[in-house]
Amino acid sequence: MNPILNKSSRNFLWQHPWQLALAIVGIALGVAVVISIDLAMESSLTAFDQAGKAFSGTATHRIIASDGGLDEKLYTQLRVGQGIIKLSPVVSGYVQLAAQSDNRFKLIGIDPFIEKSFKPIWQQEQNKNQTADFLMRLVVEPNTVLISDKTAQSLNLKINDDFTILTDNGKQRLKIIGLLHANNAISEEVLAKLIITDIASAQEVLGSFGRLSSIEVLMDSYEPETLTKILKVLPGSALFISVDSQSQSMREMTRAFSINLNALGLLSLLVGMFLIYNTMTFLVMQRRKLIGSLRAIGVTRRQIFKLIIGEAFLLGIIGTLIGIALGIALGQGLLYMVSETINAIYFRIDTASLMITSAQIGKGVCLGIGATLAAVLPPAWEATRFSPVTALIRSRLESNTRRVVGVAKLLSFILIAGGITLAFFSGKSISCGLAAIFLILFGFALFTPAFTLWFMQLTDKLFGRFLSIVGRLPPRMVASEISRTGIALAALMIAVSATIGMELMIGSFRQTVTEWVQASLPADFYVSLPEEKMIAGKATEEHQLKKKLAELPGVQMLSSVLHTKIIANDEFTKVSVFELNPESRKGFIFKHKVSDSLWDRFEQQHTVMITEPYAYYHAINVGQKILLQTDKGKQPFEVIAVYADYSGDQGRLSMSRQNYQQYWPDLGYSGIGVYAGENTDLGQLENQLYKLLSGQQSVKSDKAIYKASMEVFEQTFSITETLRWLSAAVAFVGVLSALMALQFERTRQLGVLRAIGLTPRQLTCLVISETGLMGLIAGLFAIPAGYIVAYILIFVVYERSFGWTMAFHFDPAVIYQGLALAIIAAVLAGVFPALKMAQIKPAEALRLE
Amino acid sequence: MQAEAAIIIKELNKSYQESGVRHDIFKGLNLNVNNGEFIVLLGRSGSGKSTFLNLISGIDCPDRGKIIINGTNITALSEHDRTLFRRHHIGFVFQSYNLIPTLTVAENLLLPLELIKRITQKDRDKVCELLEKLNFADRLDSYPDRLSGGEQQRVAIARALIHDPDVILADEPTGNLDLDTGQQVLELLDTLVKKAGKTMIMVTHSQEVIGKADRVFSIKNKCLVIN
Repeated sequence: MNPILNKSSRNFLWQHPWQLALAIVGIALGVAVVISIDLAMESSLTAFDQAGKAFSGTATHRIIASDGGLDEKLYTQLRVGQGIIKLSPVVSGYVQLAAQSDNRFKLIGIDPFIEKSFKPIWQQEQNKNQTADFLMRLVVEPNTVLISDKTAQSLNLKINDDFTILTDNGKQRLKIIGLLHANNAISEEVLAKLIITDIASAQEVLGSFGRLSSIEVLMDSYEPETLTKILKVLPGSALFISVDSQSQSMREMTRAFSINLNALGLLSLLVGMFLIYNTMTFLVMQRRKLIGSLRAIGVTRRQIFKLIIGEAFLLGIIGTLIGIALGIALGQGLLYMVSETINAIYFRIDTASLMITSAQIGKGVCLGIGATLAAVLPPAWEATRFSPVTALIRSRLESNTRRVVGVAKLLSFILIAGGITLAFFSGKSISCGLAAIFLILFGFALFTPAFTLWFMQLTDKLFGRFLSIVGRLPPRMVASEISRTGIALAALMIAVSATIGMELMIGSFRQTVTEWVQASLPADFYVSLPEEKMIAGKATEEHQLKKKLAELPGVQMLSSVLHTKIIANDEFTKVSVFELNPESRKGFIFKHKVSDSLWDRFEQQHTVMITEPYAYYHAINVGQKILLQTDKGKQPFEVIAVYADYSGDQGRLSMSRQNYQQYWPDLGYSGIGVYAGENTDLGQLENQLYKLLSGQQSVKSDKAIYKASMEVFEQTFSITETLRWLSAAVAFVGVLSALMALQFERTRQLGVLRAIGLTPRQLTCLVISETGLMGLIAGLFAIPAGYIVAYILIFVVYERSFGWTMAFHFDPAVIYQGLALAIIAAVLAGVFPALKMAQIKPAEALRLE
Repeated sequence: MQAEAAIIIKELNKSYQESGVRHDIFKGLNLNVNNGEFIVLLGRSGSGKSTFLNLISGIDCPDRGKIIINGTNITALSEHDRTLFRRHHIGFVFQSYNLIPTLTVAENLLLPLELIKRITQKDRDKVCELLEKLNFADRLDSYPDRLSGGEQQRVAIARALIHDPDVILADEPTGNLDLDTGQQVLELLDTLVKKAGKTMIMVTHSQEVIGKADRVFSIKNKCLVIN
């Protein structure tokens, strides 16, 4: 590349520092959002995978059971009876530090002397020197534990110190006898959330005497004999699965969530691309005379193209590097939100901090630079078209643009129609649903310039005669420079329509969930009981508690539920076991008409009801049968109803307690609903309920549960809200950049107005009126786009992602807010260029050609 | 008795900075222009002719010195007051016309009036009348980009005169036009400005205009020299 040519490019860029800075900010923000989502999501899931690997080591398979756990005799049976030695029993459960109740750890009980080929973390190289001593102590001394050196440091604990934890089984004291070191950053994060002890101590601490959570198995790729031996003694309530498939299914479970988040990230990048396109177009158009001159002295089209691409590449690298740094910082913030959402709707994970891999950084680099280059291709190509004889004049550029606007309008109809078709005729694909939204948004973006021209003409016709001459300037300026204003408007329109669409969707969802939660809480109080189902004697205690509750004065009736897992159609499935009364039956919102005999069949026959997500994912409907695994073999249960459930997206079954007790062990209750009689003093009853409870048992009123449920709902959408605002921020930078470019280009025209007699204040008002008008157009056009986006989100994307259906709830306030957002953003973005233009000296402005 | 001067320029100094070095444009420049007088300004490219007009119109400020127009010392006015002064008392004709591209011909003419007061039907009639004089009656609603260079400059002259200013400043009004069109534009200026008794300072190289001027000056050695 010619160094002097490069210098001319460099000097030109330096003369436009604001444009450069805004383009870099646009790239950086787009990359940052994508990277942060990727990092937060991957870190959460990697933490889950790695936590499993920390104690399972090289295990290839796992024997797991539902909430009751496995009888520890199974381990003896496999090891002694069947002679399988590569086994590792595990007992696990969650505990909290007594001193810091929000600090939760996973307590894992292991057999310290298992087969060495498992290579669990405590047997790894970095811990080998200590193992012989402290592994022996784990077995010999009760309630002794190993924690990571990092955790010890953060809690200010050292070897031989004691600390107290809270479990479902009450308070327990543990003694640290050794510290574990991690050999890499990821393991360090994982270890930081683990407390390792031996099997017996774990059973004692967690109250799960005689039970195991799982048995890890190390098997070569194909060992039919071992497999036969295991399956021979495997109880009906247990499953033998491969570790990889379990990890895979966890990822599969969160796939919809992950796709939706990534789509939001890509939305920011798309808006960012508009910004890059706009900046590079501006930088090219500003140089049309220069490029014409260069062509006249013999610079080839290829050289011009390379020059522009080279500039974009440089901007892309700088923006991407800043974006990666920003993304890491932002990812740290998003990590908490992502983890909490996964905890709320999928499974429990513990993530302490971000895990950054080179692959993720590489992905960010490719996206940032790739998006920049893609956005710059059209202006770079356009630059090569400049004639060496006559550089394009502005008016010709605008008339060319108006021709392009016509083509774009046609293309926009095709894209919108294509998007709508794709949305409704793409099976169950979430990606197609999201791609449809992108197509529609892009279609609306392409239609924005045509809409703007039409709207401006209409404004001029309808209101022109009532406006002053200066008042007529803003709409005409917007229309006359459509090549520049159109891009800014499109970027703003996309961001605002996404905001309107998502706000309408969240509002509809909130309304649906509110109605569902209210209907689901017919009792006056709910007693919630410990989650841990392996605690010995728990069921008996809970039956006694229920009896006492029923006997309390003022209690009219009770209902109960047990949330557990059983094996349905060969996979673990959540099941809710109900004891219902006439009131609690009203809490079910069915997705179809049900017969009067429904409840009799539910109680008396081999029947189940399924939630809407379960029906969607498993393509099962009323009348079909599900095979449930029991100790007496597989039993068919008929599906008699499908009901609404928004507590998770994996779906669950419901059966009567009477049915459950025929085949599965008694695990007590998860919750008991208390119905007060008429004229009962609820405050007094609540006090009496408290007196009957102990340890981890608690009581909440229906109102408190409603409030807590809605808080969880809002919290699960906090990440969506955050990402939406980030997209809006990128759009804001885009509009600011476009307006800066626009005002810069019309410096001379504004100088003439100043020379004629417009005061700086009038000039400021003029520019701000123009930008406000642009905000109004973007906002108005974003309304139909946002409405369509909301419709597709509700009836296509969310149904495919989570299996939930909800009613479209139209809230006019969302429309006003969207409109206000667009106008405020545009006016704010116009303030700086307006002030800058007002400050410019007319004499200088007039000198500019 | 000699009439009071319309424009009095006293000890005017103006310079600009480039790479930290000060370059003087004017140093101690003095000039008195009488009411209705037509002054032509000559000078080499870059000698400061346009800067001189900018200073008189108040869109640029001198480093030192006074510019008094019809008794108002515009160098003592604030930026805002200078703008208001310019709005009422100055008409500007630029070499490259500088019409507002988003306003029609009629609107371009009404704009200076609107900045001064509320537009009435009388003003609209005045615009029509003026455009009729220019043979533009049928182009009221045309946008500037539909007009030729000569037509645009004629509209620009009408814009400079519409609000009846005391002083007309014209910066090479025929610089972008061919000979014939330039001729027509100069005739128009002569008819409309001189006959209306307006004071005019014009930067031009046209020999014909020089012949019609009351006084001709050149900028030499940072001062005005009478030709």
